Amino acid sequence: MRGKEVVLDKVSAKFGDFTAVNPTDLVVNAGEFFSILGPSGCGKTTILRMISGFLNPASGSIRIGEDIMTGVPANQRPTALIFQNLALFPYMSVWENIAFGLEARGVGKTERRKRAMELIELVALSGEEMKKIDELSGGQRQRVAVARALAVEPAVLLLDEPLSALDLKLRQHMRAELRQIQRMTGVTFIYITHDQGEALTMSDRVAVMNHGRIEQIDTSDRIYDHPSTPFVASFVGENNILRGRVTAIENGIATLESELGSLRGRKAPELAVGVDAMLFVRPEVLKISEQPQSDNSVAVKPVRRDMEGAFVNWVLSAGKRSLVAHLTKAADAGIDHDRSLHIEFAVDDAIVMASGELADTGGQDDEASD
Amino acid sequence: MKTETMSRSDVMLNVFIGMFVMFMFLPLMLMVMAAFNSASPPSVTDWQELTLAWFPRLAEEDRLIGCLQNSFRIAVFVVPASVLLGLSAAILLTRLEGRATNVLYAFLISPMLTPGIVLGIATIVFWRNFGVAADLFTTILAQTAFIASFPMLIIMARLQRQDRFQEEAALDLGASPFFLFRRITLPFLLPAIVSSAALAFLMSFENYNTTVFSIGGSCTLTTEIAAQARKAHTPVINALGVIFVAVTLMFSVIYTLRKQWEK
Repeated sequence: MRGKEVVLDKVSAKFGDFTAVNPTDLVVNAGEFFSILGPSGCGKTTILRMISGFLNPASGSIRIGEDIMTGVPANQRPTALIFQNLALFPYMSVWENIAFGLEARGVGKTERRKRAMELIELVALSGEEMKKIDELSGGQRQRVAVARALAVEPAVLLLDEPLSALDLKLRQHMRAELRQIQRMTGVTFIYITHDQGEALTMSDRVAVMNHGRIEQIDTSDRIYDHPSTPFVASFVGENNILRGRVTAIENGIATLESELGSLRGRKAPELAVGVDAMLFVRPEVLKISEQPQSDNSVAVKPVRRDMEGAFVNWVLSAGKRSLVAHLTKAADAGIDHDRSLHIEFAVDDAIVMASGELADTGGQDDEASD
Repeated sequence: MKTETMSRSDVMLNVFIGMFVMFMFLPLMLMVMAAFNSASPPSVTDWQELTLAWFPRLAEEDRLIGCLQNSFRIAVFVVPASVLLGLSAAILLTRLEGRATNVLYAFLISPMLTPGIVLGIATIVFWRNFGVAADLFTTILAQTAFIASFPMLIIMARLQRQDRFQEEAALDLGASPFFLFRRITLPFLLPAIVSSAALAFLMSFENYNTTVFSIGGSCTLTTEIAAQARKAHTPVINALGVIFVAVTLMFSVIYTLRKQWEK
């Protein structure tokens, strides 16, 4: 099995007057584990359905390997889709489910069974081959779905949030398993999810989508450390967000006159003096002290201290704003609740971007100012 | 206070159920009893003597048996034709999108609501133009015209419960539309197809209105019984009724037992 590259050339999708996907260019490399991450309704499933052939693009074209897919029906594309509800066939046994694609291609029963047994071994289901689907656990069904899709030797495997029905432990386990199967087979995986943990841990690269538009395509690390839009910064991971106006830009460092005073951070590309901007700083880079070491600091009052295990979650108030800091146990030990405190952060750990739409995180990062 | 009204309504309900069961089964019981009474025409009030004589007499009723055979002959065609038509219509209506669906639905359901007499007469009038005389053939067509609506409704109800991702998954794995239908859709519809076939058989077998107007000089069991009922008839018909009741009971007992075993 070898993966093929998937190229979207100005592909868009419309449902009546509603534009589900704006014209999008996207190159997924052969053999890559690629995730499309975004909130529900952002158009990620629509992209998947266009690649698999269940939906025709309103414009643009899709290429898989050397072949343009326009006019090629779903049952003749080199793709296999793993559905959100798995869509396993309830009237067939495990091995018949897995061999379905081969049966559809007219492969004889002996050969079918042999191929199915190989895949059953690959997904660690040996001994379960005669069982019916409703006799399997959630994780086992997941594996049947993966094996059934791999049986047709697809060049591209498309996964539509297949882990969302599983509980947390199993989900984490299946993440590792999917990643391993992808490496072993070399098939191109395109994985759709609204769960950033899934996208960041499994993927070679992640595309973050919002309102039918891809906002950023990058590696997991780059997405987390160098978000390119306010949406990505607020959707992926946690961020403290401060609003203000840019008063100076020097050596790639922007100064923001914010509601909590003058603060500095890395300048995002295309940021200009005088514009409304947002400063993003992650909870884990904040330091809490009585005497700040730099002027990139804000006086705060502690509101709450939550022990999370690996780290300590501090909720702090500064004026009307609420800030969150994640401290290591060692850093947490030296803090005296009753003294006046400051938070501070290194200039390189914050990023200043022109104001834009934020992800809807339930409003906890932001006061009710807009 | 509350419990009192509850128990009073319980009593009312039980009385109602009792009356309902009587209303349903008393005629049936009287018919069965008359089959074992030597009095002719059949009676329960004029009880003469207990006899099984009417049962062997059935074999001598050549015309009745011929008509019974006609009933089966008609059903043999009506059942598969109705199920096939109903299946096609159900698939068309569930898969077709747009305003045409509602019109088509109303059109396909209309024979069910048309009086049987009208269907029967319409069928013979239509076919007479082509030189086809009223006979079993016209009855088969007339019955199929309205019976097909019932399988359509039953199969539609099941189709609407189907997970559409099942079919997409099959297509995605490379299945042709025919292979998909045979391997995924048909097994899913099988229970609905079996029950609609059973219903179609019963509807064809017991149909009178449409049949009597479309069959011309021929007969089915129902038309023959109706014809005899107008004259003074013998309890032979009651004996036949007893056999039907027995066969029906036997099937429902087998069905219930099988359900029990499956548990």
